[in-house]
Amino acid sequence: MGWLLLLALALAQPSPNTPPPDFSPEVFEIARELRCPVCQGESAAESNAGIAVEMRRIIAEQLAQGKSRAEIREFFVQRYGDWILYEPPARGLTLWVWLSPLVGLGLLGFGLWRYLAGVRARAQLTASDVSEEEIARLEAELQPRERQP
Amino acid sequence: MLRFWPILVLLLGGLFYWGMQRPNPNELKSVLVGKPAPSFSLPLLEPYRAQYGPEMGVRAGLGKPVLLNIWASWCIPCRTEAPLLERFHQQYRDQVLILGVNVQDSEAEALKFIQQYGLTFPSVYDGRGRIGIEYGYYGVPETFVIDRNGTVLARHAGELSEAQLRGYIEQVLR
Repeated sequence: MGWLLLLALALAQPSPNTPPPDFSPEVFEIARELRCPVCQGESAAESNAGIAVEMRRIIAEQLAQGKSRAEIREFFVQRYGDWILYEPPARGLTLWVWLSPLVGLGLLGFGLWRYLAGVRARAQLTASDVSEEEIARLEAELQPRERQP
Repeated sequence: MLRFWPILVLLLGGLFYWGMQRPNPNELKSVLVGKPAPSFSLPLLEPYRAQYGPEMGVRAGLGKPVLLNIWASWCIPCRTEAPLLERFHQQYRDQVLILGVNVQDSEAEALKFIQQYGLTFPSVYDGRGRIGIEYGYYGVPETFVIDRNGTVLARHAGELSEAQLRGYIEQVLR
């Protein structure tokens, strides 16, 4: 019974990842796409650094003013450049970041194709290498036993 | 495919070398360089009000180059930078405006810091650091070099050395 009570209590705890109740979840959704400038590998949604808190406040204010997500993102890009975005836009040098998996797959496919073509060519070569005499002997070996003297 | 391996090794080596040569993200240029500095006006910290009035900021018609220094009392590099800025303020006060912006700080702590280092160049108070975000700051200390036309010439992230500060002042007075 005590175990059940403990389990119920544990389940009743709020998940630690839910946003604090001061801003709407949409604020955190937008902040998740933006870097926290003073942190290492943390978004503006996760960090509790003063600057990240202020960024969330700015997002909340701009949402209240009726600005769109793209406009809010642009506000930060104008001040920090594309660096502030977790997903770099697909243009310029960052285009390579998006294309590199495709290039990698293409290279892998090309390598595989070359390898398989080589294997096939070698198989054909060995097949044509077998002499007439050898084929005849092989066929004789494969004849049913009763025909043999 | 295998006979191309020296080229592949060279390509990978080149990529590695290029990656190592890329500048530190802390040295990334500000997107503001070459653009007009965002104007603002913020309340001055108490010790400067008698001389400069209730508010101060970057705006058109200042007629002076500005070194905008973003600082906080809890920031360790700011402690070595503050006396240096003060010395240059004494030397160039008629030609360059060194303007401090105290961010992410409590006013009482900021005042203690000013008193401790005897800072006479004016500092405004921006508790939430909103002007910092307006300028796209990464942390403290950070300095923006603004010419007399109000155009941002450079951004310096981190502590300024004496040579760097002298370099920026010479650049801005040219």
